[in-house]
Amino acid sequence: MIAARAVFQKLGRAKYISHLDLMRCLQRAFRRADVPIWFTEGFHPHAYMTFALPLPLGVESVCECMDFRLLAERCGMDEAKERLNAVLPEGLRILRIAEPVYKHTEIAFADYEILFHASQDISAERLEREWSDFTARGEVTVQKKTKRGTAAVNLKEFMEILASAAGAEEFSVTMRLPAGTALNVSPALPREAFSEALAEHGVGEVFSSVRRVAILRADGSAFV
Amino acid sequence: MRLEELEPLLAKVQKPSRYIGGEPGSVMKDKSKIRARFAICFPDRYDVGMSHLGLKVLLSCINRREEYWCERVFAPDSDFEALMRERDIRLYALESLDPVRDFDFVGFTLQYELCYTNILNMLDLAGIPPRQKDRGEAIAPIICAGGPCACNPEPIADFFDLFFLGEGEELDLEVMDLYVEMRDAGASRSEFLRAAAQIEGVYVPSLYDVRYHDDGTVASVTPKHGAPARVRKRIVSDLDTMDAPDSFAVPFSEIVHDRAVVEVLRGCVRGCRFCQAGFLYRPFREKSPETVTRQAEALLRSTGYEELSLCSLSTSDHSRIEEMLDSLLDITECSRVNLSLPSLRVDNFSTAVMNKIRRVRSGGLTFAPEAGTQRLRDVINKNVTEEQLLRTCGIAFDGGQSAVKLYFMMGLPTETDEDLVGIVDLAQRVVDSYYARAERGKGRGVSISCSVATFVPKPFTPFQFHAQDSPKTIARKQAVIEEAAKGHKKIRISLHSPESSVLEGVLARGDRRLSDVIEDAWRRGCVFDAWSEHFRADLWREAFEAAGLEPEFYAARERPYEEVLPWDHLDYFVDKAFLIRENERAKAAQTTPNCREACSGCGVARAAGRPCFPLKGETP
Repeated sequence: MIAARAVFQKLGRAKYISHLDLMRCLQRAFRRADVPIWFTEGFHPHAYMTFALPLPLGVESVCECMDFRLLAERCGMDEAKERLNAVLPEGLRILRIAEPVYKHTEIAFADYEILFHASQDISAERLEREWSDFTARGEVTVQKKTKRGTAAVNLKEFMEILASAAGAEEFSVTMRLPAGTALNVSPALPREAFSEALAEHGVGEVFSSVRRVAILRADGSAFV
Repeated sequence: MRLEELEPLLAKVQKPSRYIGGEPGSVMKDKSKIRARFAICFPDRYDVGMSHLGLKVLLSCINRREEYWCERVFAPDSDFEALMRERDIRLYALESLDPVRDFDFVGFTLQYELCYTNILNMLDLAGIPPRQKDRGEAIAPIICAGGPCACNPEPIADFFDLFFLGEGEELDLEVMDLYVEMRDAGASRSEFLRAAAQIEGVYVPSLYDVRYHDDGTVASVTPKHGAPARVRKRIVSDLDTMDAPDSFAVPFSEIVHDRAVVEVLRGCVRGCRFCQAGFLYRPFREKSPETVTRQAEALLRSTGYEELSLCSLSTSDHSRIEEMLDSLLDITECSRVNLSLPSLRVDNFSTAVMNKIRRVRSGGLTFAPEAGTQRLRDVINKNVTEEQLLRTCGIAFDGGQSAVKLYFMMGLPTETDEDLVGIVDLAQRVVDSYYARAERGKGRGVSISCSVATFVPKPFTPFQFHAQDSPKTIARKQAVIEEAAKGHKKIRISLHSPESSVLEGVLARGDRRLSDVIEDAWRRGCVFDAWSEHFRADLWREAFEAAGLEPEFYAARERPYEEVLPWDHLDYFVDKAFLIRENERAKAAQTTPNCREACSGCGVARAAGRPCFPLKGETP
């Protein structure tokens, strides 16, 4: 039995699979693929699986990580990857399986790409301008859920803008946010704060899509 | 439609994965190679519909034909529906995301009467006019339905082109084949329906004229254009060769029953007088343990499910149940799959069966005494004694179970308050027998949950003539039970809404005039009537008044034996004369033996053309 870490993508339709649903979905995929994994012992045995960083519902990702214990005598990591990909639903695909290097607790940041979709009500250029105004503010205060309720935090302290660009149909922003067990800032917070700012300027609803593109350690290096 | 059109809505609703399809096991086909498309619609939410086996059976049967494609449709939850209406998104099927109105067949499965407003709501969402007569002569889509309530579909007859009576595995394909032939030859809808009515099992309501007496009872049901005077249901003769699913679409989200399911037998030998299913699905037929095991294995392999359940009425009546359980446990144990069984008979629950179940991590056991006193159990022909119930629960307790669920009913014919209190007394004696056991698990208390349903008289049962209790009476009786249960800490009682049970009773034994009430109730806002948080008794009452009809006429009136019942022109093989005999025996609290012990001449053997027993392979 060996410790294994699967890096997988969750795109398109699959972004609507919630985190709990994803666990169930993967457990069944392991059965269909006939990939033998270790079950917990005790009163309620189940397939052992842990996720490095849960992904919010509706967010895509190209860098999700799941740890499990492979009974490698019966099935190696490459074989497991092939077999699983043959039975996974559309949108879920394993990119690689390897032995884990870093512990989950080392996760410090995650990079997200947010696409704001232009529409009849608002062009990509205007979105870009509004975003500039928004980020130029000294403070962007949001209510963040904490262990003891909610607290007001200034997003500007946590949001690091890496890139932005206006395309024909959308305006995209890539940002780095704290992630992990110590401090986690969901991409929903800046997205919602920007929506509110737009609403203040009379813009109606803007549809946006979010994709996690990297998970990083404190020094900025890749987690996987 | 493409997924992108739905995305802005999906971001705003609960459990969006219910609306996108793409589940492992869902069947995708190339539209260009398909000759006919069937949208199977379950008139309730995804969570309920995806738990239902019948849907999966039809999906499997139809999709096995290369040139046909069957897809799933469920009722959207209220939040998604509101957004769909706002943005003019029509009801679509999950696999292709194509609008339902573009299909050749739109078929509803009628599992319970309180889903009828959901049917109208779904037709409306699909952009299909609710009334059959308003849909014009284009042959597609054919709006059809099947399932248990099709045994009396009269209240919704005006909304449908045709009904499938009985078992659909072979029938549905025959109808689709005829449709393709006639459509390609340019036939109109009426021409097709007249031809379809000649297929045994097809009921085309528009080919029957119903006349009423002045007192509102049915005077006559007259066929026209060559339709048969009585429509016979279809049965599949051999369950071992019958089509059964080897794969299911496995949902992403949590649903009510999320597991692999294999049907093990059809029909029932017991003849409990309240039970419609037991009569509707006769003759009794079994699947061999080999077939069950083979199908279970295929399902588990293709779905990856961690739980397997058997499905049937009275599963423990299978003549080879122990052998079947052994065979199934062999495959489930080594792959760590949980095996669960539906409600079991208490009169044949043996230690052998319990020992097999004990090998399984199971949630709890369910038994159905149905009535609290022996007298009433005899009236309803539920031939189990208290001694059998206690012995069975005892075997379960000795096997480590500490949670038992008991099903009861209230509102049964000849019932008195003594019978109601008897429910609690019986449950208490089960509790007492637990504590009397020296060897029960330390510290673990017992929990007996009693679900007390309100009896609804149903067509094709001996009690179809019975006057159902009024909501006031039901409420009073429920108070009696709750009072009796006070202080019995280990017993939990659950009850059902009186108004809702009476509405079920009206629709179950209703006639065609109720279509006005159903449509009006829906237009006034009634939907998801089976759900207590949605059920609007007040709006239904308004709809009845507006139509000039009284629910009491349908539910609370004792039907004389000579009355023509709205479903008499539909033949489910069981003779009315038998039902009358049984009803008379009920009044005298006389029991009737089960079919294996003695044939009671219910009419099924004669209709099916062969005796029900011995079964094939059984020695007489």
